[in-house]
Amino acid sequence: MWSGTGGLAAGLLTLVAFRLHLSFISASFCYLLLLVLQSLSGELISSAIVSILAVGCLDYFFVEPLFSFQVSSPLDTLGLASFLITGLVITRLVAQVRIKTESSRLQHENLKRLYDVAQQMLALEPDATGGGNFLEPFRQVFELKAVCLFDAARSELYLAGQAHADLEKKTGEAFIHGRGGDDRSEGITTQIIRVGGRTTGAIGFEGLKDQELTAGPLAALAVAHLERTHSFAHASRAAATAQAESYRSVILDALAHEFKTPLSTILAAAGALREIRSLSPDHREMAETVESEAARLGRLTTRLIRTARLEREEVKPWMELIDVSSVISDTVDQYNRSTSGRISLVRECESTEVLADRELVRLAVSQLLDNACKYSTPGSAVTLSIARQDESIAVRVLSSGNPISPNEKNKIFDRFYRGLNGRHTSHGSGLGLYVARKIAVALGGNLDLESESGATRGAAFCLTLPVPEGERSDVPATV
Amino acid sequence: MTSPQPFSVLVVDDEPSLRKTIRASLSASGYCVAEAGTGGEAVGVFRGRPFDLVLLDVNMPGMSGVEACRQIRALAPRTGIIMVTVRDAEEDKVRALEAGADDYVTKPFRFRELIARLGAVLRRTRMDIDASGVVQVGALKMDLERRVLWKGDEEIRLSPKEFDLLSFMMKNQGVPLTHLKLLQAVWGSDYGSELEYLRTYVRMLRKKIEDDPARPDYILTEPWVGYRFGNPSDPDQAARPSEQE
Repeated sequence: MWSGTGGLAAGLLTLVAFRLHLSFISASFCYLLLLVLQSLSGELISSAIVSILAVGCLDYFFVEPLFSFQVSSPLDTLGLASFLITGLVITRLVAQVRIKTESSRLQHENLKRLYDVAQQMLALEPDATGGGNFLEPFRQVFELKAVCLFDAARSELYLAGQAHADLEKKTGEAFIHGRGGDDRSEGITTQIIRVGGRTTGAIGFEGLKDQELTAGPLAALAVAHLERTHSFAHASRAAATAQAESYRSVILDALAHEFKTPLSTILAAAGALREIRSLSPDHREMAETVESEAARLGRLTTRLIRTARLEREEVKPWMELIDVSSVISDTVDQYNRSTSGRISLVRECESTEVLADRELVRLAVSQLLDNACKYSTPGSAVTLSIARQDESIAVRVLSSGNPISPNEKNKIFDRFYRGLNGRHTSHGSGLGLYVARKIAVALGGNLDLESESGATRGAAFCLTLPVPEGERSDVPATV
Repeated sequence: MTSPQPFSVLVVDDEPSLRKTIRASLSASGYCVAEAGTGGEAVGVFRGRPFDLVLLDVNMPGMSGVEACRQIRALAPRTGIIMVTVRDAEEDKVRALEAGADDYVTKPFRFRELIARLGAVLRRTRMDIDASGVVQVGALKMDLERRVLWKGDEEIRLSPKEFDLLSFMMKNQGVPLTHLKLLQAVWGSDYGSELEYLRTYVRMLRKKIEDDPARPDYILTEPWVGYRFGNPSDPDQAARPSEQE
């Protein structure tokens, strides 16, 4: 249409200029003016057509010989060629300016829309994913027919709007092939969603204009919202777990304290019964059994409270210089009384002094021995060795049977984790190793699982406790 | 010759069954026992008549055990007061000792342990340094006048501060001594938070007087509370509670 208008204008200009007997140069400037106006309003091709038409008119009406397309003077040829080149350049430049202006307007408009969408997305609740409602801002602001999102983490496909074409199928395919694309015939654009280089889903738009400009930013907005909902869900789960844990250990603590008064009553009564001189040996033995079992229950209760407090990180270690082998030897003796001497203690170094909390070391070693006795072959030997290892004392507990599989190695120190073998063969809370490691770290050491103890095919745990600096260099320590 | 007067004990606990059991058990062991169910009642009973010993629960409704301890101590400076606490409540123990208690037992406790504690406190409240100014605990003998210490036949050299600390501990044998009490008794009333001083001197003293400093028999640690001077030749020391399983 613009080329027709331009052609008509060129004709009128020719008529007027010819009647006015304008020279070639004057007419050329008039045509150039017309070309500028044409380029500002018309397309590049129509402007080029008008340029060529203007050259024809100039040649025919204003260059000797008149009413002929022949040119007699080489100067006129040069003038016409110059006019043609100038006209085409002007046309091209003006068209470029127009395209850039238009593109800038579109970008501005798209930015405004994206800003609108972002604002609406921020106003959504962080857990709003139900039924694809969170995609509505995309659809409304960008006037889409439909928008579809596949969230791989949840294996959910969300859709907003009425999809006429295979939008859902194409979105799913984009995720599977790991590649987005445009289907111009159906007006569908798909984009892959990536977080940290990992593909986490795909988004598909039906009826999206300026796909090149908008599809990417819209996908980024969708990613941001999805990440927000995932983080919120994760944080909510973590908070719920932490709260449940807190309640659980508080209840455990309270219950254990509640046990202490009745246990004291039983112990006092049993202890007093034992003191009665007229008791028969059988009755005395029974009173002793009641007392020792109630005392054992008391120790278990205390241990339970301490474990619960360790979990809540309420235990402050009382650090003092202790001979770890004497602490351990007492604990081993206690265990050997109830396990028919299964545990042997090997001391491989002279000085075994460490700076630690005596009770906590006892508790950690008890947990390791419990673990070794429960999960090893029944009746097999358990070896506990104490050796110097660099600037630490290493306490190793070796047992045989039920080795820990490689894929369990990273999990066994997790809270409530129970080994695959142990789940069916032994009672346990899944807290022993967790608590033992917590103690080791609180005392400035560590607890690790070492490689399996070769021939015996069992587990080897190594508890390290730091040797105080003064002991390392034989300078008296100040503790 | 008349038989000696039995020692009187006031048992204060809000739990009637525990009170009753302890009363029966202590009566069977030769003590003369009275009961109180609250801290306020205990102070009231005490105003009516003195007791040699008070066994006082820390956690009671109404007046707390610590407050009752403070009031009873004000009434009777020489009465032995033993608090009943729960483990892992070190703050309660320190508060009770600072309020004037002589010792504590931790629930659940064995009857033997209770008897041992009562005996230790009775000995302490009735202990007078003999006229020669010599204190003897186990193999250790200390001449307070001449400031000399022997372990068996061997004389052990101590610095003046070591001597002051050890003599204070030996004079208060068998009962827990808080960090604050030790620091103020040896270094002066301006001291109280300098735990490092105490730890350094205890470490040096253990090297000098203990057979095995890492497994002490005399200077025993009461975690978070302070120290207790033990007597290895005292059979009651074996009744100390054990956390071993």
